[in-house]
Amino acid sequence: MNLTTALARFLIFPGLLFAVPTAWFFLWVERKAVARMQGRIGPPFMQPVYDFVKLLGKDTPPRTGVAGLLMKMWPLLAVSAAAGAVGLLPVLPSSGGFQGDLILLLALLELPSACIIAAGFSSRSIFGEIGSAREAVLSVAYNVVFLLAIVSIAASQHTFRLEALAQLPASPLRWLGVAAILVCLPAKLHLNPFSLPNAEQEIYSGPMTEYAGPELAMWELSHGLEWVAATGLVATLAAPHVMIVWLAILLFVALSFFVVLLLSTLAAATARLAIDTTVRFYWQCTLIFAVLAISSALFMGLRS
Amino acid sequence: MNILTMLWQNLLGGSRTLLFPERPKVSKGYRGLVRFDPALCSGCAICKMRCTARAIDFKSGKGTFTWSYDPGQCTFCGRCVEGCKTHALSQDAECPPVYLTIGALKKSYTVARKPAPKPAAEVPPVSASQAADPVPGGAQ
Repeated sequence: MNLTTALARFLIFPGLLFAVPTAWFFLWVERKAVARMQGRIGPPFMQPVYDFVKLLGKDTPPRTGVAGLLMKMWPLLAVSAAAGAVGLLPVLPSSGGFQGDLILLLALLELPSACIIAAGFSSRSIFGEIGSAREAVLSVAYNVVFLLAIVSIAASQHTFRLEALAQLPASPLRWLGVAAILVCLPAKLHLNPFSLPNAEQEIYSGPMTEYAGPELAMWELSHGLEWVAATGLVATLAAPHVMIVWLAILLFVALSFFVVLLLSTLAAATARLAIDTTVRFYWQCTLIFAVLAISSALFMGLRS
Repeated sequence: MNILTMLWQNLLGGSRTLLFPERPKVSKGYRGLVRFDPALCSGCAICKMRCTARAIDFKSGKGTFTWSYDPGQCTFCGRCVEGCKTHALSQDAECPPVYLTIGALKKSYTVARKPAPKPAAEVPPVSASQAADPVPGGAQ
């Protein structure tokens, strides 16, 4: 991948120009779907855009005793990382990529979470610190399963290149890995039942408590981009390989949309779990499947 | 699986959100805005004493009194209505109306005090048997 291609992927497709409207659309779909399933009317179609524009026009109140530059830096870093992760997704049939881009994707997907943890502790708010601590514990809980699932998929297909993974026919082991990733997504996107770090009713949105105005708008945007990147990763791994460009885009959006609906249903159907229950769920129930997947992948690798 | 059935029914049944100017149906015994009947009020101000939200104000003047009510502060607890001996207060059995300016629902009434009842002209005659017996529990 040369510099021009990389820039085009980061800025145009599937990067910022495509990902930002898609992020707002997915945020709207999630809010609307949850509202309709709860018997509410839900927000209008343009609400995420209105929210973003409104927040951009607001001032950030002065925060005494807090490093302002750090507080400004975290949401920007999160947006950049999430946009970069979306830019790496091999949506188009021959989109390039490089050996090991899957590892970079995982790192970029993890960066917004690390930024949230850092932002909560930087804010010196008690609610922010509690939220960050919860985010850190949650991150440790689901990431073991998430990483094992990704590694098992990569090991079963003998490549860490995303485009190669997207082109190879899906094996049963890959479906097991995709299922494990799907189980981790609610925690990654802070959805019920794993919405502990941003529990509005308990800790006033946790790390976001001290944020307002354009900085909060950037956090919202990074959250939307995380939606696109995370659901897009599942769509990339689950979609059959097609050579027609428009069909590949359509398939990507449709599968991502389906994952958003699935996660919204789960969010509407469940209540928030306590942190110990969450950790127990990931380390006791889900880890078994991930270990099974990676051991099968390694066993298959040894045999072939 | 019950929750999924419920979600599915909600999805098919549409939203329960009411759009303006629709108003929700209320149950029997619903406590809405407090209504005041100046003709029945005796001006005792018990309602002001009972109102912990300070929605009711009472000002006494010369020969008149002013009774005011601010629904913006009212918690619709109904204690004023319960305490009104003359039944001058009652509560609507419907949701308060939508208003666009602060204090639009405030009400204030200036009522002339009713003349106090004159004391009885003469003590009714006491029978001989009642006068002979001391009142039980009375001062000896």
